[in-house]
Amino acid sequence: MKKKFFAEHRRFWLGLGSVLFVLAAWEVLLTYVFPLNPFFFTKPSLIAVAFKEQVISGALWGDLAVSSKAFLWGFSFAILLGIPLGALMGWRRKAGYTLDPFFTALYASPLVALAPLIIVVFGVGLFAKSVLVFALSVFPFIFNTFAGVRSTDRLLINVVRSFGGGEKDLYLKVILPSTLPYIIAGARIALGRGLVGIIVGEFYAASEGIGYAISRFGDTYRLPEMFAAIFLLMIAAVGLTEGMRKLENVLAPWKTTQESR
Amino acid sequence: MGAPLIQARDITLVFKSKDREPITALRGFNLEVGKGEFVSIVGPSGCGKSTFLNLLLGLIKPDSGEMTLDGSPISGPGQERAMVFQEFGLLPWRTVRANVELGLELKGISSPERAQRATELISLVGLKDFERHYPHELSGGMKQRVGLARALATEPEVLLMDEPFAALDAQTRDLMQSELLQIWERTKKTVLFVTHSIEEAAYLSDRVIIMTARPGRAKETLKIQLPRPRDYEMRLTPQFNDIKSRIWDVLKEELTSRVLQ
Amino acid sequence: MKRLANFYTEREQSILGGGFILLLIVLWELMPHLVPLSKGFSLFFTTPWKVIEAGYQLFVENKIQEHFYVSSIEFLAGLGLAIIVGLPLGLITGRSRDLDAMVDPFVTIFNATPRLIFLPLFILWFGIGIWSKIMIVFIGAVFPLLINTYEGVKNVDRVLVNVVRSFGANEWQIMKIVVLPNSVPYIVVGLRLAIGRAILGVVVGEFFGASKGLGFMIATAATNYKVDVVFAGAAIFMGLSLILTMAVKKIESNLSRWRPEEAKTF
Repeated sequence: MKKKFFAEHRRFWLGLGSVLFVLAAWEVLLTYVFPLNPFFFTKPSLIAVAFKEQVISGALWGDLAVSSKAFLWGFSFAILLGIPLGALMGWRRKAGYTLDPFFTALYASPLVALAPLIIVVFGVGLFAKSVLVFALSVFPFIFNTFAGVRSTDRLLINVVRSFGGGEKDLYLKVILPSTLPYIIAGARIALGRGLVGIIVGEFYAASEGIGYAISRFGDTYRLPEMFAAIFLLMIAAVGLTEGMRKLENVLAPWKTTQESR
Repeated sequence: MGAPLIQARDITLVFKSKDREPITALRGFNLEVGKGEFVSIVGPSGCGKSTFLNLLLGLIKPDSGEMTLDGSPISGPGQERAMVFQEFGLLPWRTVRANVELGLELKGISSPERAQRATELISLVGLKDFERHYPHELSGGMKQRVGLARALATEPEVLLMDEPFAALDAQTRDLMQSELLQIWERTKKTVLFVTHSIEEAAYLSDRVIIMTARPGRAKETLKIQLPRPRDYEMRLTPQFNDIKSRIWDVLKEELTSRVLQ
Repeated sequence: MKRLANFYTEREQSILGGGFILLLIVLWELMPHLVPLSKGFSLFFTTPWKVIEAGYQLFVENKIQEHFYVSSIEFLAGLGLAIIVGLPLGLITGRSRDLDAMVDPFVTIFNATPRLIFLPLFILWFGIGIWSKIMIVFIGAVFPLLINTYEGVKNVDRVLVNVVRSFGANEWQIMKIVVLPNSVPYIVVGLRLAIGRAILGVVVGEFFGASKGLGFMIATAATNYKVDVVFAGAAIFMGLSLILTMAVKKIESNLSRWRPEEAKTF
């Protein structure tokens, strides 16, 4: 009975076990085996304590809230501008031809290289961070919507037209549903890139936010707090990313691309 | 026959392409179909039979010639003609029921009416237990039944069928042929059926039109002198074989001449 | 006249695309002449020609070479390390279900987080010399390589493996004859993604904790309002990124010739 239980979810147990093992080994090694130099290392028990303190004092939540706000602003604009642009490029061939090379060049470039400039121009704060998040996360929306619209099954377009469907019907009944899985996948990629944007923005010159917290803890050699903040961000990132994946699966039995990971 | 329901006179269609020579799909194509007739079109690959069906559907226009339905010229898709597609063309994100309702939806028919009509047709094609299923959960034969139900939903006068059973395995194909005949007997539609299979054409139709190789026109028409309703055993009779070989004799000339080209 | 029209239709794609980019560059260059700029704005403004000039100056005065050299080392070392670690790990986790199960949570978690978050930690550990940058490049680039190699190995055709196995091949031979060649296209995609992440690592790493490198150069130029230098540096990164990505894409398409069109999902 016990054996069957473990065997059925073998994958899950192996994964969980491996994580727990690593944490345990980390704790044990730095408690009994290696000397713990507090300026360079820390261990899970200390991190847990710091985490609890930060959470209770509300400091971390405050930082998380600030980061989230900037992130949401930038991300929302990326959606609002990226999806229609991508749709336009996919639907009107000429628009696609004109804009594709330009956007591809931008997408392939490390736009973060301009981050110092953005900070210098817009100063430190919500706006600059949002701009950075926007610049990094808009392109997956553009390109995935573009690909999604272009991949619409011509047959389905003919079917709807043969029943007398007009342009509006084509958009609502064929193109939109067909493109949706692509857009969700794009959202997942954009999420990752947007997170990079917010972190870079906050490392560089900010006075609030999770990225700032991490860098500040680093400067003051408060390692347990630093790791606590890192873990908090990890949890948030994984939660959002896996949430997106679930959404993708629900909305389409469709093969994910390699860009996806 | 009386006044023909569908009349096509001297149809010519040329496909122009950017990098290649233009292709004349049809030249001087003539055809007449009477009300309630079941007519099949057979011909070598590329002879333009599917193209003609698309012309009748109204999705493309001929370069010259005229087509009329019941005296009025055909200028675009219309409620009187509905097509069943070879690759089914079901919207993957809609259930069986929602797919069947598609044509009615585009016509603006109210929800309760649509629902009732859809229920009738889903029963007619024998998919009553699968109303809420999605296309990817259905077999090929079932998908095509949905396609048929969808085409019949808008109560067209003419059913255009473009190699509807070509993507099915042999057994399912035989089954679908018999079912199609049963449904035809009940609904009394005019059917124009395109196929590669001589056996299928002979079994199903009142008349078989044999096309020439590209550029296509109607080479010869054979009346099928088999009693109705037809049953499977008829396919095993010497009379049936005789019909098949007569069709083959005509068709064969087009196949060899094309090979030599 | 007809010849011109034909020329256009044949190359419509590149003409529209290239033309658009050209138009933007020209407009950018002409902007100060077309639109009056406020004093504050012109502090932050530069034009393409000035950027080129700045770049040329840096090159001639031998200021940029050292930065370029340092950044390259960081990039190559980090990427090299990522390949050495990522590829074998990807191969093993692809073949062994159990190992995959054990490694998967870590991969998922680390892949979902922006790896730059470890930058302060790495600077703490490795200082502001090249090693902190190498490590951040490594940690950024290793995941696409690992994951894509893994996918390549997992997606190998079972039938082929069985065929080779039926001829008496052992695990190592199977790896060599079937799995590896099949995975190469996937690995190349992973490499393309890894290059992008690696450049990101170099850029950001040098912004925050460095005394040399192109990123450092950009960051200092920004604080000194030398906008043309900023763009020059950024342009170099962009150019490198584009060249490397296109090179890898070319290799990708050459290696993918045997794959049926459908299978190319990426």
